[in-house]
Amino acid sequence: MRRVAHGDRRAFDELYRRTAPWLEVRLRRRCADPDVVADVLQETYLAVWRAAGSFAGDHVKGSAAGWLWTIAAHRLVDAFRRRARQAQIPQVHPTDTVVPAAEDEVLAGRVGQELEQALAVLPPEVRAVLRATVLDGFSVRETSVLLGVPENTVKSRVRRARIALREALS
Amino acid sequence: MRAVSTAETATTTHPWAIHAEALKVRAGRHLAVDGLDLSLTTGVHGLLGPNGAGKTTLMRALATVVKPSGGRLTLLGRPVDGRADLRPARRALGYLPQHFGYYPRFTVREFVAYMAWLKEMPKADIPAATQRAIDRVGLAAKADARLRTLSGGMLRRAGVAQAIVNDPQVLLMDEPTVGLDPEQRLDLRELLRDLGTDACVLVSTHLVEDVVAACTEVVLLNEGRLVWQGTPDSLAAHGDDGHAGDSPAERGYSALLRRHRAEAAR
Amino acid sequence: MTTHPTLSEIDRYAAGEPGLDEATVWSIEVHLESCADCRARLAGSTTAASRALIAEVAAAVDREIAAGPKPRSKALFRTPLRQRWFVAALLPWVAMTAAVLGTAALLTHLVPELPSIVLLLAPLAPLPGVAVAWSRHADPAWELIAGTPSAGLTMLLRRTAVVLVLVIPVLAVFAASGASRANPALMLLPCLAFTAATLLLGSLVGVRRAAIGLMAAWAAVVVAPSLATAELPVLLEPAAAGAWAILTAVLAALTLLRAGSFRRLTSF
Repeated sequence: MRRVAHGDRRAFDELYRRTAPWLEVRLRRRCADPDVVADVLQETYLAVWRAAGSFAGDHVKGSAAGWLWTIAAHRLVDAFRRRARQAQIPQVHPTDTVVPAAEDEVLAGRVGQELEQALAVLPPEVRAVLRATVLDGFSVRETSVLLGVPENTVKSRVRRARIALREALS
Repeated sequence: MRAVSTAETATTTHPWAIHAEALKVRAGRHLAVDGLDLSLTTGVHGLLGPNGAGKTTLMRALATVVKPSGGRLTLLGRPVDGRADLRPARRALGYLPQHFGYYPRFTVREFVAYMAWLKEMPKADIPAATQRAIDRVGLAAKADARLRTLSGGMLRRAGVAQAIVNDPQVLLMDEPTVGLDPEQRLDLRELLRDLGTDACVLVSTHLVEDVVAACTEVVLLNEGRLVWQGTPDSLAAHGDDGHAGDSPAERGYSALLRRHRAEAAR
Repeated sequence: MTTHPTLSEIDRYAAGEPGLDEATVWSIEVHLESCADCRARLAGSTTAASRALIAEVAAAVDREIAAGPKPRSKALFRTPLRQRWFVAALLPWVAMTAAVLGTAALLTHLVPELPSIVLLLAPLAPLPGVAVAWSRHADPAWELIAGTPSAGLTMLLRRTAVVLVLVIPVLAVFAASGASRANPALMLLPCLAFTAATLLLGSLVGVRRAAIGLMAAWAAVVVAPSLATAELPVLLEPAAAGAWAILTAVLAALTLLRAGSFRRLTSF
């Protein structure tokens, strides 16, 4: 990463080779339109290259991957805003049984049996909101753009999820 | 399940992004905004009015740069008049002044990053947010050029980039299209519409065509007061062939202004 | 580190299979963010469509990079850089202050019967700079800055600190050269007290007016009479140093209490 920050083209290619497949799959799981995924992927890596000089080491806290995801996530929101007026982007709606999560526990990766059961009671739309806000780190406002629902709805779903999880865990 | 339903009903957010009641703002000794009532929500709103209508003074008051001398003003449900703490509202604010000074030796990137820092964005987010804002206004190729080497149109776009760098919920733009060539003007309108999907964007302009092309709503100001507020289509419906203007919207604009002046004279 | 997902789970994740239950997807995504090995395994499991898209984007990124300028590798933004315009704006004022003090030193040297003019003028030395620090006229970008959350007492204090950093060495040089014929503390403490007084008064009437008013008042009430009587005022006798220190602390504390008055940049 430090070499990319110094404008090293080979290091940048290496970063792309190592992280682009992961980022592509993750984006594709959130947006079914391959053109949008391609745009977001391209914008993300161009941003990394163009702003390389200003990403001093201390700006990249934690993993480089987490930081790449943050950049990509914002660009994804921009793409959704762009398309929101034109045509709806087909979203990937999670219809299956979701996860649990009092956030910390999920982030720690300890997906316990009882949490899993607790989340199973949540309706899919609540789980989608939870995924966007907790796992993907979107703000309420960004989540509202991504899922195409009003901000207030996002907030109330987050609250519902928290209460349901707390009840299930106690 | 009872807890769940209470949570549902407890959801309340401020209904208006910008809310002014009987707002008065001075520009020097002159009362440039005189008893304005205005409520705006998400979307792109065009602020129209003749020169001297009070557009720039209103923009400055909304941007919390000048203090209102009377009335009430809230941004995102937070009062920003009197002695209120302005910081929470200011963090969610983007402002492009009509004429803005800058530090000529800064590069575009330094300028935008400096503004992001002043807007109290987390330090680790600033480089990526800066690049994103620069990309969105189409200045990527000039990101490391010094401001003093830029043309008027580029400088204007650098100004737009600093305004949007913090992803503002209230975005105020005073004459953003001045100095842009026709193609850049189209790009900017496109960007404004994008931003309007989840932010309250208020664009002051004297060009009726900008408003018709980019805005969801028109706010017409004259002599510091709200003359009319409505969609671009209904603005056009007000005009007929008897009024000056090259397009239906321009004729509607002149018709409404003339009516307001006649009422004021009475 | 969380447990590694199985290869079959990774395959199904990469294929975007909706059948993969969400709990697994969630833990895979959390894991992948921190595990380079599993990201490499994922790269091997991607679908043909994904691989085509990745290659296509790689080519597009390549083209854009070739067309654009090479990024500048110098790290952006250290605090001194943020303040460099301000330092540039201050330099003429600091130069002027140094010139005035130099003239005063010369006078003191040539007319030994007068009290030290350097000592008399030292308290005012930072005031022109402080006036510049919070004025619409001095900052070209004031209209942009005035609407940001940082505009306020913190910013004013930061800029005042820059002023002091530039002015105090100048005073120290004069004190060290013996031009003041006095204890260096008697040059520095009144200078800090006046800075604090300017900020406090500035919260009421505007910093620029406060600076001008205090300079005029000091000149009329202290400087002129002591030149006329050729006597150093009691205020600047060595015994007064403690009083100046207490005054500085009190004024600074009062200024902090009035922080709310600096939320908007004054218009004068």
